[in-house]
Amino acid sequence: MPSLPQRKVGIVACSGEELPEGTVTRLAALKVLEELRPAQTVTICLPLFLAGGEGDRAFAKFYPTIAVDGCEKRCAARATELYSNKPAASFLVDDIVTQRDLARPQGLRRPSAASRAAADALAEVIAVEVDRLLAVRWSRSQGAILEAEDASQGVSTAACACGSGIPVTTVQLDGRSVQIMALAPILEFAYGQGLRAGGPVPGQIMETVRMYNEIPAEDDALWAQAVSLAWQEYCTGREVTHGA
Amino acid sequence: MSERFEAGKAGKGRAGPPRLCVVPCSGIGKSYGSVTREAAYVVTEELRPEATQIVPLSLLVLGDADAQAAVRAAPVITLDGCKLACASINVRQAGGVVAQEVVVLDFYRQHRDLKPQGIAELNEGGLALARALAEEIAATCDGLEAAEEPQHA
Repeated sequence: MPSLPQRKVGIVACSGEELPEGTVTRLAALKVLEELRPAQTVTICLPLFLAGGEGDRAFAKFYPTIAVDGCEKRCAARATELYSNKPAASFLVDDIVTQRDLARPQGLRRPSAASRAAADALAEVIAVEVDRLLAVRWSRSQGAILEAEDASQGVSTAACACGSGIPVTTVQLDGRSVQIMALAPILEFAYGQGLRAGGPVPGQIMETVRMYNEIPAEDDALWAQAVSLAWQEYCTGREVTHGA
Repeated sequence: MSERFEAGKAGKGRAGPPRLCVVPCSGIGKSYGSVTREAAYVVTEELRPEATQIVPLSLLVLGDADAQAAVRAAPVITLDGCKLACASINVRQAGGVVAQEVVVLDFYRQHRDLKPQGIAELNEGGLALARALAEEIAATCDGLEAAEEPQHA
């Protein structure tokens, strides 16, 4: 049994050289690995699965992986499952492009501005998913999330157990305590992208919050209000920190 | 048939043998992997676009029928970024014939003035190394095509 790193998430990008979307997967994976979550992620070499990379296979068998694919063939997701274990999460470039209403990626060797925008958006989604996976309890023996329901209801405890920061934010909605998954990293990323408080909460933030939280229809307005407040507080906190 | 690449078909707009396949290693963890990809693009987009095509390794790993047919129908040049030789191993497992097997680290030892750095964006040394490698691949391509041409009395 190889020595496995602690608390890491593996990223498997299809890297398809013949499609612009393949280039987007590669750029997004690199952005997460090098800039957004360098201490929490490793890259897993897809071709090594077949070429006999025992270390890569073992990692993907016992630790959470995120498969990132450029087309519906989903080579990264399917190969990961075929040779080691089902990915904990799987993203398709097309889905992100559609959800964010972005332009189609273009260019293989020289990615277009649209490709870079898609890669940035995809990297953001991957980073949030990394945070989520590090926040829940993970069974190495089963290669799966443990007690998914309990984790979603009390993630703070699980997060403390694995020491992975603050994966959930607890807010008060109409007198009730509600936990919002991954709100802190979402706000951090939005701020890093140059967004600032001062008006309605930016649409991108609520879209990303919705991707990681099931918001009951009757609570939608309350959630928006809570996220808006959290966003304003976050921005104020950052400005105070920078001004100090 | 996939529109991405052709299996067993002549090069675009010409009669003759199937397009030679270039298979870079797909690695995203090291500069040498990026050099393989850049070299493959230089060959297939600039130097020999009519005679060559990239076959993505990810499809071969998954056992994609079109990708396997492509590497079985024409000679293959594999470009590996490290000694684990994923490209060569995967092509052979898919039933392809490797006409030239390049390990970038070995190629770099012959061009030590061209040190590659960076992954998402290669430095000048890396781009120059990739171009030098692409020119060698183009020469191999020409040799293979010449060998395929019918002999005239």
